[in-house]
Amino acid sequence: MPADPTVIAAHAEVLQSDARALADCAERLQTIEARLEADGIAPRWLREAVNAHLAACAAAAADLSAAAAHLSRYAERARR
Amino acid sequence: MTGPENEPRNEPPNGPRIGSPLREAARELVDVATTIRLAGAHATAALTDGALLTALPHAPAAGLLAHRTLLHALTDGGALGYAPAGGRLGTLAARLGTLAGQESLAVRVLATSLRLRIAAVATEHPELARDPLIVRLVEAAAADRDLEAVRALRALLKDRGVVRALSQIAPVFGEVLALRALLDENPLNDRTAWLIATGGGHATADPITGISNRAVAALDTGAGAARRTSLTAAETARLGSEASLLGFLRNISVLGTTGRVLIQSVEGPDGVVRHVVQAPGMRAGHLDHDSPQDLLGAFSSTVLDSNPYSRALAAAVRDYGLPQGAEVALIGHSAGGAAIMNLAQDAGFCTRHTVTHVVAVGAPVDFKRPADPRTWIASVTNQHDIVPTLDGQGAGACFDLHPGWYVVDYSDATHLFPLCHGIDRYIANLAEDLPEARELMDARLAPYRGPVVRSQAYRLFDHAPRPGGFPFLIVPTYAVDGPDGPVELPIRCEDGSALTAYFAADAAAVARLLHGTGLGGAVGVAGRALVTVHASWNRRTSVGGYRELHVGLVVAGPWRSWSPRLGPLRGADLLRRADRRSSGGFMAGSVVDTAAVHAMGARLWGAGTYLAPLEFGLTARSVRVTVGGPGDRLLALHGLLGPGLPVNALDLVGYARGAAGKTLRSCVRTRGRGRLHPLPRLRLTVQPGSAHPLAHRLRELGLDGARPLLCLSAGTRQTLQDAAVPVPTH
Repeated sequence: MPADPTVIAAHAEVLQSDARALADCAERLQTIEARLEADGIAPRWLREAVNAHLAACAAAAADLSAAAAHLSRYAERARR
Repeated sequence: MTGPENEPRNEPPNGPRIGSPLREAARELVDVATTIRLAGAHATAALTDGALLTALPHAPAAGLLAHRTLLHALTDGGALGYAPAGGRLGTLAARLGTLAGQESLAVRVLATSLRLRIAAVATEHPELARDPLIVRLVEAAAADRDLEAVRALRALLKDRGVVRALSQIAPVFGEVLALRALLDENPLNDRTAWLIATGGGHATADPITGISNRAVAALDTGAGAARRTSLTAAETARLGSEASLLGFLRNISVLGTTGRVLIQSVEGPDGVVRHVVQAPGMRAGHLDHDSPQDLLGAFSSTVLDSNPYSRALAAAVRDYGLPQGAEVALIGHSAGGAAIMNLAQDAGFCTRHTVTHVVAVGAPVDFKRPADPRTWIASVTNQHDIVPTLDGQGAGACFDLHPGWYVVDYSDATHLFPLCHGIDRYIANLAEDLPEARELMDARLAPYRGPVVRSQAYRLFDHAPRPGGFPFLIVPTYAVDGPDGPVELPIRCEDGSALTAYFAADAAAVARLLHGTGLGGAVGVAGRALVTVHASWNRRTSVGGYRELHVGLVVAGPWRSWSPRLGPLRGADLLRRADRRSSGGFMAGSVVDTAAVHAMGARLWGAGTYLAPLEFGLTARSVRVTVGGPGDRLLALHGLLGPGLPVNALDLVGYARGAAGKTLRSCVRTRGRGRLHPLPRLRLTVQPGSAHPLAHRLRELGLDGARPLLCLSAGTRQTLQDAAVPVPTH
């Protein structure tokens, strides 16, 4: 079966987009937590949970971004 | 009962509860979790795409690095977590990961969303947050501490008992179950947990075991059927004569969980007749019985779009005979609420009829959608009632799943389940605690306010019930004139019992009675003549219940005569079916106890009957038959039956002298099991001093004080009796 680098490149684009979405998710989580804290209704466990999610989102965004970069490079090399 | 949760929600669509800040945050976290899960699915799709492998020979180093980074992204515990998703390989990998106790970031964020929902409910139900045992259970579930969760639940059950524990946890029941299902090591319940947490649909599996709900619901089979049934006089008296919401709900209470529904027609204020289907909840008792109103029916009503209950309801409506396009309101409680919603979402039903209103009380209907968008829907739920949360959505729901519905989700001081689920509790709440909600619903139901002009109850079945007496009693019928209008013949008796006693009577007296009948001599036994006394109680027949007693002189039949000496050897003829039997009993006197059958006497037996009170009591051991009232007793036949041998119940053949000296033959065909009693200890007693002609006849035959030679009893039998027919004897 012949190699199809365009498919690999498409995956890379999707993952790069997901990395940005996860970065947005981190921001959203921060906003949600801040809003509930400001309203004085945040459960006491929420900050710790959100902080863990924030860190994980940031790390996941980095992972996906790295994967997207490697996939792009792979597509380029396969195309040559 | 106070608090924002008591306020009905209709306008604007997103009421205060759904829009509370904690629920709003929970909803946003669902969006975040969904985005994270999608990223995992995309990475899985990339990793498992064959294109990556086929390109490997062209750029092996870059390819391996890409694979390695993708694998890392999908398994990085500090990032996406264990996140394979989607596709066959992704799903398999996800399940294996769940079994191994792996979690994804998406699941952790969703768990936080569920915890926020629980926190939101706790602000409205402070007793939840104050209760250390419930707090312990929720925290253990959220922390994925299985053993601790089990211990906490056990402590709760031990301290409060099952009923109180379930009642107290009811407002967060769905969330706690979903939390457990998300975080436990059982991969089968993950989809259900996801659906509950994201509001994406009704629970597809049991959140604890993961057993498919559809698989369980599929056990509830049947096309659904409805048969008209009568309410008792007391029940009819309790039905509302004026239609209103509370009236309909009280009707449901009157019906009870007895497998019945009610359809009423109401003349509205504008003079238009509209119709109301009223459906109660499930019958208690067995998991599955002949009615769709059982536990399986309740379950399938919730998770399926069409089930035996809704199909049986549709059958009842069909039988009721609504005109095309007639306006219909559907009112249901519990499983009945889910069933009427199934009817409302049946496009075919909504094409035939205009479903204007649906009111579901204490019912799991969150994921039902009416076929006609104009249908006005109200859902009334008590937050401590677990039943409405069976579809996974309860007090903690953070999605407005049905913006146009009128939702009354309230809490009252009665936290006890199942008490708070009962229709009477809901009626009391609506009558006393929720006046505004009741008035609003009544206002919407205004076209249905007015006098009830027709009521019909139905008994519902999973499968069309076998007609009584099938196939024996399914015969062609014809109408004849009766005293009160046409009567159908043959008379079909679905349930009856009978006793036939064989006596040795005075042969000379019998010969006198038979003289000139053309029936030959009597069948003799040891110099005496055989006479039968046949009594029966026909409990359920096509002409109503009645009792009868006949005295028959046993004859060989027209054109035949038996030698008195050989009589006993020819007795086998008595055992033949009526259509092959020549012998029979010449009717020497008959009594029935209903005027309708009395009026038909000559047509049925060829001879007149007497009308008198008759009692018939038959047990396995004894019989008691009396004729005549307490002050006017005619005869009694009672005593012990003695040992019995199983035999088939016998057909009966009777002969009589009709008008113009014609001989008439009557038959009673019989189906059922009987017993032959060769040593009966019965006695026939004619009331001393009775001047009744039958009393004279029995004395004349020498039967006063006589004991029968043998008896045949049948505790349960079915019979067919047609009109007597003339027999040409000359």
